[in-house]
Amino acid sequence: MEPQDSIMDGDLQTLGLQSILKMLALSGKTGTLFVHSGPESLSISLRKGQVVALREKGLIQPDLLGMLCLINKLDPPRAHLVREVAQGNMQVELATLVDRNWMSAAEMQQRLEFAVTQSISHALRWVDGYFSFHRQLVAMESRMQPLDIDSVLLEALRQADEWEEMGETQLTRTTVARWLPEVSNDVRSLGLSQEHIEILCLANGEVPLQAMAMVLMIPEARVAHIMKRLLELRLIEVVDTTLEAKLQQDLSNIIIMSQHMLAQQQQNLAPEQHLLRLIKTLSQCINGLLIHHGTYAKSLRGRGQLPVAEIVRYLERRFAQPLHLIAKQQYSILETAIFANGQLDCMEIINLDKLVKGEKLEEFYWEAVLGLATFLRAVFATLLNDEVGDSHIGRQLSYVWKAFLTEIDQEIQQYQLYRAHQNTQQRNRYGEVTFPNGPSWSSVPHNEGNPYWSPETQRRSI
Amino acid sequence: MIEPIPTVLVVDDSPTVRKIVQMTLQRERIRVITAGDGLSALTSVADEMPALILLDIQLPRMDGYHICQIIRKNLQFRTIPIIMLSGKDGLFDKMRGRLAGSTEYLTKPFDSAELIQTVKKHLVGWQQRMPPQYESMRTRLRRRG
Repeated sequence: MEPQDSIMDGDLQTLGLQSILKMLALSGKTGTLFVHSGPESLSISLRKGQVVALREKGLIQPDLLGMLCLINKLDPPRAHLVREVAQGNMQVELATLVDRNWMSAAEMQQRLEFAVTQSISHALRWVDGYFSFHRQLVAMESRMQPLDIDSVLLEALRQADEWEEMGETQLTRTTVARWLPEVSNDVRSLGLSQEHIEILCLANGEVPLQAMAMVLMIPEARVAHIMKRLLELRLIEVVDTTLEAKLQQDLSNIIIMSQHMLAQQQQNLAPEQHLLRLIKTLSQCINGLLIHHGTYAKSLRGRGQLPVAEIVRYLERRFAQPLHLIAKQQYSILETAIFANGQLDCMEIINLDKLVKGEKLEEFYWEAVLGLATFLRAVFATLLNDEVGDSHIGRQLSYVWKAFLTEIDQEIQQYQLYRAHQNTQQRNRYGEVTFPNGPSWSSVPHNEGNPYWSPETQRRSI
Repeated sequence: MIEPIPTVLVVDDSPTVRKIVQMTLQRERIRVITAGDGLSALTSVADEMPALILLDIQLPRMDGYHICQIIRKNLQFRTIPIIMLSGKDGLFDKMRGRLAGSTEYLTKPFDSAELIQTVKKHLVGWQQRMPPQYESMRTRLRRRG
């Protein structure tokens, strides 16, 4: 919008938002009011002095449908159908719910009104900032009936006062909370009200306080008050989104690096070379995860710079036992792998080619691949459960991890197929039946489905 | 009350890369759609008109250079920024990417922070690049459900 379009502007210290809105309402103005304060901003569309639409910038768009499902007001299949139509547009989501008779038109209007009041209530607390009013009505999608400014202001001011009455609190409208994973007892026995339970249902580490208030249509201050109580009861914890973002980024980088190593596998390598590269990829991935866990493990966090020896001790205590168990129960070759300085040392396995050759070497490598793949799964599961639990970020990382494991499994299957072909060929040779043009290692096709044989059969065949 | 969010198309044959990029960009309030091969990528471009494309070079059925050339020859889609993703770090490959019409080149294994930074850089002004007639068609389709 061009600056010359502006018919009124100034700073909020001189003229507060409340006065500006009242003035525009009284004069029955049509246009758009922009209010900025720091990184936050608000644009309110007015027609003949009434609010017709509002857009708040710098605010995470809440997943209304997901939240309605969490509080049992919408079935997930219905939410899925609406989501496909609305493509993330909240206005369309509400309109679709009304079209399909899953929400009344009155409730939609009430929800939209509440969202406008909530945003204005927040902006009323801005002290510094500036505003400008433009004659032009910025196109904003809105299914809302025009709102009278006086009634919006009255409710917004009441909500703003409630926040002020809260006094000193660490909770803000962007605070995200998550159930504590340790909670296993029946929360109903604590005598919580319906509102407490609904907020508990929404505290999945994803929904900010402001979005909770919006979906429940209760003031943000009231939500903050309930959250405080749930924190005291140790039913929820406040999520550190910055730490989680770093943690997610670090794990993503490890997975990208490992996937890249896996994709670099050359198809024309001899089978034992191929297996050796898989061993190196798997062990590097395990070590990357161990380094990561040394930084982000729950019991090591928030204690400042820790001595390396303590981190090493922690990692060995946590992961040496599962490794020994896997070695003892299934893959004895892993007994040669040791923990050194908090890292898995597989040099004995990697240097096996100096001791054995041919089929025997291939057999050892194959066992090491299967063993390391099992240990890798165990390490990631332990690490994820400890660091983020079954939260939103935890589920997202599991999803990515599954994709990576599928790629590892494909590499393993490729070798299984190769062995199967080799064995068939051998049997045919003994039975004096010719098998022309048998496949070479490089020509074995990638199979995305199940392996032809079960792993047990494969192991026996080797 | 909501801000329009950009859509990024990720084209890579590795499901791991697709999912990691999806997770990383979604955290930055970017909608992500994915394609595992060249033909699906072109279909997605036509259907969704993404604000940016992250394109792997080695793809089944049609390589990244070819896809890039096709997009650049299309009047409607030629302004979409294309960031090539590749395991190849050679100057020749980068040159080939540039000749095919790529906007930038990211070498695998890429860092998540670097990916976010590059994507954000090229998303500046994405709404202006979106042809209005296309947007209205999408809106109409959404309304029709």
